[in-house]
Amino acid sequence: MQPQSDHEKEVAELIVECLNLEDIAASDIAPEEPLFGEGLGLDSIDALELALAITQKYAVQLKADDANIQEVFGSLRSLSAYIAQEAA
Amino acid sequence: MTAEYLHPLTTRRAGEMIAHGPAGDVRVDQFLTQAKALSRKLPDHKYVINLAADRYAFLLGFCAAVIAGQCTLMPPNRQRQTLQTLADEYGDCYSFGDAGLDNMECFDSNFPVEGTIDPGVPGIPDDQLCAIAFTSGSTGKSTPNRKYWRTIRVSTQSNIDLLLEDRTGPMHLLATVPPQHMWGFETSVLLPLFCDVAVSYLTPFFPQDIADALASLDQPRALVSSPVHLDALLNANVGDVRIDCIYSATAPMTAELAQKLEDRFAAAVIEIFGCSEAGTFAARHTASESLWRLSKSFALTIGENGALISAAHLPEDVALQDVVELVDKDHFRWLGRHQDMVNIAGKRASLADLNHRLNAIPGVIDGVIFTPDDTSKRLAALVVAPGLEPSDILDELKRGLEPAFLPRPVYVVPMLPRQETGKLARKMVVELFEETRRSRKAEYEGPADDAT
Repeated sequence: MQPQSDHEKEVAELIVECLNLEDIAASDIAPEEPLFGEGLGLDSIDALELALAITQKYAVQLKADDANIQEVFGSLRSLSAYIAQEAA
Repeated sequence: MTAEYLHPLTTRRAGEMIAHGPAGDVRVDQFLTQAKALSRKLPDHKYVINLAADRYAFLLGFCAAVIAGQCTLMPPNRQRQTLQTLADEYGDCYSFGDAGLDNMECFDSNFPVEGTIDPGVPGIPDDQLCAIAFTSGSTGKSTPNRKYWRTIRVSTQSNIDLLLEDRTGPMHLLATVPPQHMWGFETSVLLPLFCDVAVSYLTPFFPQDIADALASLDQPRALVSSPVHLDALLNANVGDVRIDCIYSATAPMTAELAQKLEDRFAAAVIEIFGCSEAGTFAARHTASESLWRLSKSFALTIGENGALISAAHLPEDVALQDVVELVDKDHFRWLGRHQDMVNIAGKRASLADLNHRLNAIPGVIDGVIFTPDDTSKRLAALVVAPGLEPSDILDELKRGLEPAFLPRPVYVVPMLPRQETGKLARKMVVELFEETRRSRKAEYEGPADDAT
């Protein structure tokens, strides 16, 4: 598994905390593995809850039309990069 | 067929607005011309699986199919397995608006509209089977709910009374639920055919998308959604947006959420009660009312086997999956769901079925899937499976289950607290769950300062 950057670690902790993923440690989320479907098995309700947590923590609004949202939610790495870019 | 059995496809006037499509506003006469033109081009099959994501395309496809005498199938989801089951069951079918399966004929709604078609309103036989809705759930095989034209037009009239109350004049409606879902179908597809509602073609998901889509609509505005979407919208700091009416269904809404939405958006928040079998049959202003107001078109009776909903426009009486108490003939109180039934993300499942699947996994000696508490959005599982990891169990469950029903968390435990009779008391299960959760948390976080 590739190492998580500090920012990715922070986002991973947010994911585990807001979605109650008790079976998974934040440090176990591989940066390039899929978060939804096959990977962590998250679904659309998780996407909404996660989006809300991201808005509250980083003041970033996720929108379906200004980026390919499937890609943004594709992995911890892409999600973290999106947050960093939008929050800048 | 005599004319008295025919009822108009729409009761709207030609110049009124029916939709806000991707190419701009659509008047009723334009819509009728397009629907009639489309109906002549549809492939010659008995059934159509309407997969259109663009809500206006769905509306057009549905109405064209009705005009052509075809029945629209509304799959509970887009999963391959679901579509394959439908294709096997209803062999003479094609998909509309989006490719369903590789081996299925697909018809796309992008076509040139001929200008020579008169915009007169087609009459539809009352006994024509127009749509089949499927109860969403965990089981591969879902029960079909037949919607005849009579059912559709009478239940829509009932919904107009319940939802619009005494409002008159045009309303611009946005929905976050898909048109294939019964709640989205009744509101965003059927209301525009029978009352002064213009529907947006969009199905926004994230709070900012919902706010932007609303802002693009004229006022007054209505939002059709679910408690999950509405809770996110409330808390996402999307700025000022005016909403006149908010309609919620698919899961119970708390009075607190309803009140906050009313305060935040100055909107009337109306929660509806219904099911795929019967459609919407009751409503309430959740912020101020705890009792449900029954639609005049329906009767509710409580018998030995539970609550029964009946109506002249339904093909058969419907047994409710809920425990309710009749207060007077027009009002009832909701007491809960039947113990075996769970509702997650607007999808229904039987706990017995979920538990059967869990215990069928090789290596699982004993196991139980349950709801940890009344407010939980997720199921949880306790499993006796030496040698298996929670992830192994989840991988097996994923094969045939909707993600919404996957238990979270899954704890592997030495044994379940079964009584001598072999029964599992819910109280004991929840206690073991809480205990396991506490000890796992402590393990994960390490010893706390105040640990004894």
